Amino acid sequence: MAGYRPLPGVPDEMVDVDGRIRPVWRAFVAALEGQSRAEIEARFDRADQYLRDAGVFYRIYGDTATRERDWPLSHIPVLIEEREWQGIVAGLTQRAELLERVVADIYGPGTLVRDGHLPPGLIAASPEYLRPLVGVRPAGGHFLHFCCFEIGRGPDGAWWVLGDRTQAPSGAGFALENRVATARAFTDTYADMHVHRLAGFFGEFRDTMQGLRQSMDGRVGILSPGPLNETYFEHAYIARYLGFMLLEGEDLTVVDGRAMVRTVAGLKPVEVLWRRLDSNFADPLELNQNSHIGTPGLVSALRHGGLTMINALGSGVLELRAMLAFMPALSRALMGEDLAMPSIATWWCGQPAERALVMQNLERMMIGPALSTRLPFDDTRATMLGATMREQAQDAARSWIAKEGEKLVGQEAVTLSTTPAYVNGQLVPRPMSLRVFAARTASGWKIMPGGFARIGSSPDPTAIAMQRGGNAADVWVVSDGPVEKPTLLPRDQTGITRLSAGSLPSRAADNLYWLGRYIERAEATLRILRAWHARLAEFDEPQAPLLAHVSEYLAGIDIDVDQAIPDGLLANVESALTSASHIRDRFSVDGWLALNDLTRTLREFRTRVQPGDDATRAATVLLRKLAGFAGLLHENMYRFTGWRFLVIGRGLERSLHMTRLLAHMTAEDAPEGAQDMVVEIADSVMTHRRRYSVATQPLTVLDLLALDRLNPRSILYQLDEIREQVELLPSALVHGQMSPLMRAVTRTHAGLAVQTPEDLTQEYLHTLAEDIWSLSNQLSTTYMA
Amino acid sequence: MLYDLRLTISYEYEAPVAGGRHIVRVLPLNIPGLQRLVAGSVTVTPQPAEREEGTDFYGNCYSSIAFREPHEALEIGMQARVQVEPVEQGYDLSGGPAELGAELAALTSLGPDSPHHFLAASPRVVLDRSIAAYARETLVPGESVIETVRRLTSRIHDDFTYDPEATKVDTTPRQAFDQRRGVCQDFTHVMISALRSLGIPAAYVSGYLRTEPPAGQERLEGADAMHAWVRAWCGDAAGWIGFDPTNDMVTGTDHITVGHGRDYADVAPVIGVLRTFGGHQTKQAVDVIPVKPATAAAG
Repeated sequence: MAGYRPLPGVPDEMVDVDGRIRPVWRAFVAALEGQSRAEIEARFDRADQYLRDAGVFYRIYGDTATRERDWPLSHIPVLIEEREWQGIVAGLTQRAELLERVVADIYGPGTLVRDGHLPPGLIAASPEYLRPLVGVRPAGGHFLHFCCFEIGRGPDGAWWVLGDRTQAPSGAGFALENRVATARAFTDTYADMHVHRLAGFFGEFRDTMQGLRQSMDGRVGILSPGPLNETYFEHAYIARYLGFMLLEGEDLTVVDGRAMVRTVAGLKPVEVLWRRLDSNFADPLELNQNSHIGTPGLVSALRHGGLTMINALGSGVLELRAMLAFMPALSRALMGEDLAMPSIATWWCGQPAERALVMQNLERMMIGPALSTRLPFDDTRATMLGATMREQAQDAARSWIAKEGEKLVGQEAVTLSTTPAYVNGQLVPRPMSLRVFAARTASGWKIMPGGFARIGSSPDPTAIAMQRGGNAADVWVVSDGPVEKPTLLPRDQTGITRLSAGSLPSRAADNLYWLGRYIERAEATLRILRAWHARLAEFDEPQAPLLAHVSEYLAGIDIDVDQAIPDGLLANVESALTSASHIRDRFSVDGWLALNDLTRTLREFRTRVQPGDDATRAATVLLRKLAGFAGLLHENMYRFTGWRFLVIGRGLERSLHMTRLLAHMTAEDAPEGAQDMVVEIADSVMTHRRRYSVATQPLTVLDLLALDRLNPRSILYQLDEIREQVELLPSALVHGQMSPLMRAVTRTHAGLAVQTPEDLTQEYLHTLAEDIWSLSNQLSTTYMA
Repeated sequence: MLYDLRLTISYEYEAPVAGGRHIVRVLPLNIPGLQRLVAGSVTVTPQPAEREEGTDFYGNCYSSIAFREPHEALEIGMQARVQVEPVEQGYDLSGGPAELGAELAALTSLGPDSPHHFLAASPRVVLDRSIAAYARETLVPGESVIETVRRLTSRIHDDFTYDPEATKVDTTPRQAFDQRRGVCQDFTHVMISALRSLGIPAAYVSGYLRTEPPAGQERLEGADAMHAWVRAWCGDAAGWIGFDPTNDMVTGTDHITVGHGRDYADVAPVIGVLRTFGGHQTKQAVDVIPVKPATAAAG
């Protein structure tokens, strides 16, 4: 602490110009100072541990591949006094209202363009100006419901708006996670310091979204671009936290002008969508025709007025960097008052006077693309800093501005304030900007009391961008007196009816079903491989009749025994992971981590495991991890419809696999030892010994592995399970009659249940496998089409 | 001129299509003083589950159709009778291309016909350096906007070879420019890109071309399918004028307009999203027959 020195001429959040700790920080600093480095780092570990356990990640785009990286938490929160915060609230509330009026005019009467307040050429050139939405009045009348603002503190200590985010602002969920993690690190201080809580803000916005529905039956969904998006974690997190459906474009369809979600119980109306994908991708029919993540017809659903989009499609036009140039005049024109919080000074070079001003003052300007919707700090490749140009470059820049002015803006190069970050055992000043969230509620705009701060990784203000190694910190708005402590628990009865059954989207059902199948397929493969390699260690001859016989079976399911850890096995586990990644909102964090751990181990084994004993041991380790995963699903997952699809997938795969394996291993040409081996694969050696006083014979094996209703590895046991679960699915019975799927399941089940071991000929087993296979198709057409 | 128009667009899918949603823009426009749709209709087979007619941002008519049942083929038909009036070619009142900027700045409108929409890059027309350099070679000091656009129309017609095999529906202007080959859509895209780089607002026009030449004249290129040409904004006084680079001409009574847009993406005859695997085959047939006055009276 003693060594903390703010940068010369740059305001600091914690220390004032005279080197004194600001009052709002005093209690926090005092608590920190009494502790050793070890104690402090133990606190930070608690926060990091929380984030890891919660599976918080952020996807970054590398040059070759994208990867997930742990959430980059800077552990020291930014502290802001409540009184100062009220100024921010007033400034941003005014700004949210102004933005609403601007966008309503651009897509409505167009008076701002007509009266010369906005240049038509600028709006028309923007890819975010969506002509199909012109004249479309949003349901409920409002374009904007959730915005965020990037603000920074300038050299004079006042706050400036650096950019407006109206398209699909991210970060609110991360702000919540930052809070939980930071509060873990500073449990005692947090409890004592009267820090404003965040839950109330979310609660109110959730209620607002519920209120935007037009009918009792209407659903509220979070519309995500899918797991490859950089902030997908947050989409799943928000959906879970607020109790809304997490949807992707293909979950939705438009029927007679209404947006509907495909669920396992049929099409259900969706009336509110909090979208996290950019407008242009929302509808490949009327917007970007190359979009693969949109819903054809969604714009027409908006035109019909039955759907509220948060925010309205086309709102991204407000994010244009050049738009900042017009905000002061727009505020006077539309609100009759000056901006309460100024924006960073901006000049659009498409106008002669402004162009001249920028050219004359190049050394104190940032020059960047006028139509960019990114912040100058996030867009360093496209933004030039006048101060760093040599004379020649300045001349080149001037002629560029003269020629292509309408494509450029000049913005005053600002320095940001610094805030303490903990680096190598000490606090150092780092530049920061705040991301503040605003939500429209029944009682007007509400500003989240807190938010998240972006912290630079070096004293350079452009290193703030998360993609370039910046960090995020919690923001504490500190009150003098006690604060309210709301929770998200339902306040009234309506909260209980929200998560009604039958809302499982078909795509989620599909992914859960395949997750079950892939996991089971991996397990079945591993069990065979383990038995195979154990015998290889014994015989030392891969061509021994029994080994060759089993290799042949494995080849039929794309498993090559020449590889100790076959590619086909890895493909199964990776498919399971892909399925799971699409349904993270329905999936426990522990389960997700277990599955990731399994995949990692498998990849690692592949590089070093040798055939024989080594492979046997590796298979045992992997089977234990799989059992851990299966245990989590079985012990912890709520028995909602989605769970049933998972269980059906698993049962179907297991019964199918066992039927085929039994046919192969009890065939007349099966070599000696085949029956013992299949009993071992099915984990039934002990049971066989207890149940039958004889060595394995085809009939005892078939009795135990096909027809024993108490053996979880038997075909009949699994068909029992499938039948039980299918009966509980929506519309299994229609007017008291069995659905076609239910009929088929019952037929297959009953067919096997009445057999004796003698009846289970090769021919019978082959027909049974085909019947089970066709159940899978029927399930797909009934619930997942 | 009075015309009877017939269009058939048919798709055959390799595998049955589970459903689909399309926007169809094939019906000629009503343009006061220039073109009058006397009668017209669009038919769709099989019968779609939903159908809705509308007018898009630019004022073009469209039908929005949706299917929910599997189908293996789709046929869109259009029949219309259209009256096209000749354009009065008055004096060239347009200034030089350099003067357009000031005229544009004074035009504070984003209405559907506003030239502002047609100056920047659009989904299918990226502004390209090579095409811009080609465009600059067209400029002759002292020539008006109209003369410049007319000169560019001829240059593209002369420099490019009409070749239906050379390009596809998603060929970019740059690809067509590099090989100097293509069809009306490619020539139109190249010319739009060139004009915009000169600061001249340019729109894409889709429509039909008279298929039967007047006696003694040659049949025009591109008449066996829907046609495309350019509409350039030549300043406040002259307004919008049509130029057809495929046939090296200013558009007249041989051209029947269906829609205006920034490029092909805005006015494609059929935009469609199918839930299918596998490809499909498309066929287009067009008849544009002048109606003789006697027949017209009877019809």
